[in-house]
Amino acid sequence: MTRDLTSSLFFLMVSVVVFVGSIKLGLGTTRQPGPGFITFGASGLLGILSLVELVRAFTVRQAVQGEPMFKGTLWYRIILSALAILVYALVMPTLGYLIATFLLMLCLYIMMREQRWYWIIISSLLSSLASYYLFSKLLNCQFPDGLFWF
Amino acid sequence: MDWVHHILYGFQVTFIPINLLFCSIGVVVGTLVGVLPGIGPTAAMALLLPVTFKVSAASSIIMLAGILYGAMYGGSTTSILVNIPGETASIVTCLDGYQMARKGRAGPALGIAAWGSFIAGTISVIAMMFVANPLARLAIKFGPPEYFALMCTGLLFVTYLAQGSVLRAIMMALTGIILGSVGLDLITGQPKFTLGIDELQDGVGVMPVIMGLFGLTEVFQNIEQRAEQTEIYQTKVKNLWPSLKDWMDSKWAITRGTVLGFFLGILPGGGGTLSSFMSYAIEKRVSKHPEDFGKGAIEGVAGPESANNSSCGGSLIPLMSLGIPPNVTMAVLFSAFIIHGIQPGPLMITEHPDVFWGLIASMYLGNVLLLILNLPLIGLWVQLLKVPYSILFPLILLFCVIGSYATGGSATDIIFMLFFGVGGYLMRKFRYEAAALVLGFVLGPMIERSLRQSLLISDGSFSIFFTHPIAAVTIGVALLLIISSTMGFVKKRRKAFEEFKE
Repeated sequence: MTRDLTSSLFFLMVSVVVFVGSIKLGLGTTRQPGPGFITFGASGLLGILSLVELVRAFTVRQAVQGEPMFKGTLWYRIILSALAILVYALVMPTLGYLIATFLLMLCLYIMMREQRWYWIIISSLLSSLASYYLFSKLLNCQFPDGLFWF
Repeated sequence: MDWVHHILYGFQVTFIPINLLFCSIGVVVGTLVGVLPGIGPTAAMALLLPVTFKVSAASSIIMLAGILYGAMYGGSTTSILVNIPGETASIVTCLDGYQMARKGRAGPALGIAAWGSFIAGTISVIAMMFVANPLARLAIKFGPPEYFALMCTGLLFVTYLAQGSVLRAIMMALTGIILGSVGLDLITGQPKFTLGIDELQDGVGVMPVIMGLFGLTEVFQNIEQRAEQTEIYQTKVKNLWPSLKDWMDSKWAITRGTVLGFFLGILPGGGGTLSSFMSYAIEKRVSKHPEDFGKGAIEGVAGPESANNSSCGGSLIPLMSLGIPPNVTMAVLFSAFIIHGIQPGPLMITEHPDVFWGLIASMYLGNVLLLILNLPLIGLWVQLLKVPYSILFPLILLFCVIGSYATGGSATDIIFMLFFGVGGYLMRKFRYEAAALVLGFVLGPMIERSLRQSLLISDGSFSIFFTHPIAAVTIGVALLLIISSTMGFVKKRRKAFEEFKE
């Protein structure tokens, strides 16, 4: 499946889901528009445009559509950092800001594999401490204390 | 002489130590962001939003605007010395700026870029001061139909001036409108598309969207590539003060760039990048020696650099006086206003004069600071390019995480940010633009409110958009735009844009 085909199918699907959802929410009348009024119009138009894109995807020749998307890229880095952020979001309320951030920075620096281990530990520690001091102490942002009251 | 009184008041606000500090932080960070490729002013403004939560609205806006025009200054440095544009508005500066550097004229190139930016930046602030206030007074008379027409036409302009496919930009704007409508309904209080998630009842947070689409996406795109060693053109930067001949060659380029940038800044979808591209095209066309362009013509540096700075002042006008952000960078600034509880628009100038006049005065000061920062400290900024991305990216990511978390105090926002980051990355891969989505997202709820209010006023008749003169004219402009695009006018412009990009 080509790039354009995938994306137009995706948007078509989104538009159908929102379209049906808008009808369920209630369209109201033009005198008293309901909650689904705007999304009904927007998703309807999105659906039509996705269809146009879909037709285009079929008519444009394969060769014009470009190279495979992830060819020659270090895509695994994206998956790893996305996973690290996801785990961070899940454990941060329990572990607390400092520990969770230290671990996140450690993971990210290790993933890049460009610095020495002691540099990684020191910079992870410094960045989590400095950001905690800046945002929590100086700027009064509320971070979870977590397991050990820090 | 009301404005003298106002501007003096503005300087009083700017010279409060905390505002002075935030103005300086803004321009320094802006220059830094302009110098470093891989992070643009929009992302930087979003990343530093949390820093401004606990300070006054005036300090916050002064700093964020400083980042924007600071980036326009800083972007030229790397374009000229390294042939790497620090941000998109400086891409064209590479063409002649780098060639000038190779011929040993790096000094005059940097000098004219900085002076051009200074002159254009200052003139655009003066123009903004005289345009924004009367426009705001006029806009007080606007009702929901006028706003609806203005916002729809604005969004249409944004999609037509998008860099990629117009059709896809419209699709993105519509997706943005749909995302913006998530949450409790304005009138009935019914939950809309909240998917049973409690955090979505207040709607999708603007911070996770911006952090994800601009911060995280940028990071993802950079880390998927292998690091390349930047080669810095080894040249001694001397003669930063351009010669009399350089000044004579560039004076009209700077003037044209300033005027063009200012008006393109006001136009929805315009902004720095388009201004610099258009300015280069015009300079090449009016030049007596177009063959020199691309080989080190000073007009090719002076024009675009003036234009991108001038656009900053221009793009603040629709935001300040109408409350409508004309481009994605202004959408971030718009969010900053909202976070501080200020509704940008016609009443803002009278209700929060400290913010408006403080910002204007800070921009005069900021432009002077930037001139001082940029010319003598150029060596320092170039050294910064040697900082490897592997050190920078975890820190950028940390700012994204904190920014998303700090607004709502909920870890779910981090997951939303991640969702938009991955989404933004895929959108770039599939050649869809995030800018139109963000504008649709920000304008969506306002468009919905004004449409529903208009229909309530008119008792359900759409004719209200044609009987109110301003709304009718605006819609007429939108129709003209659609017709002209089918006649190939915009297509031609877009083709020129593509040629420059190559």
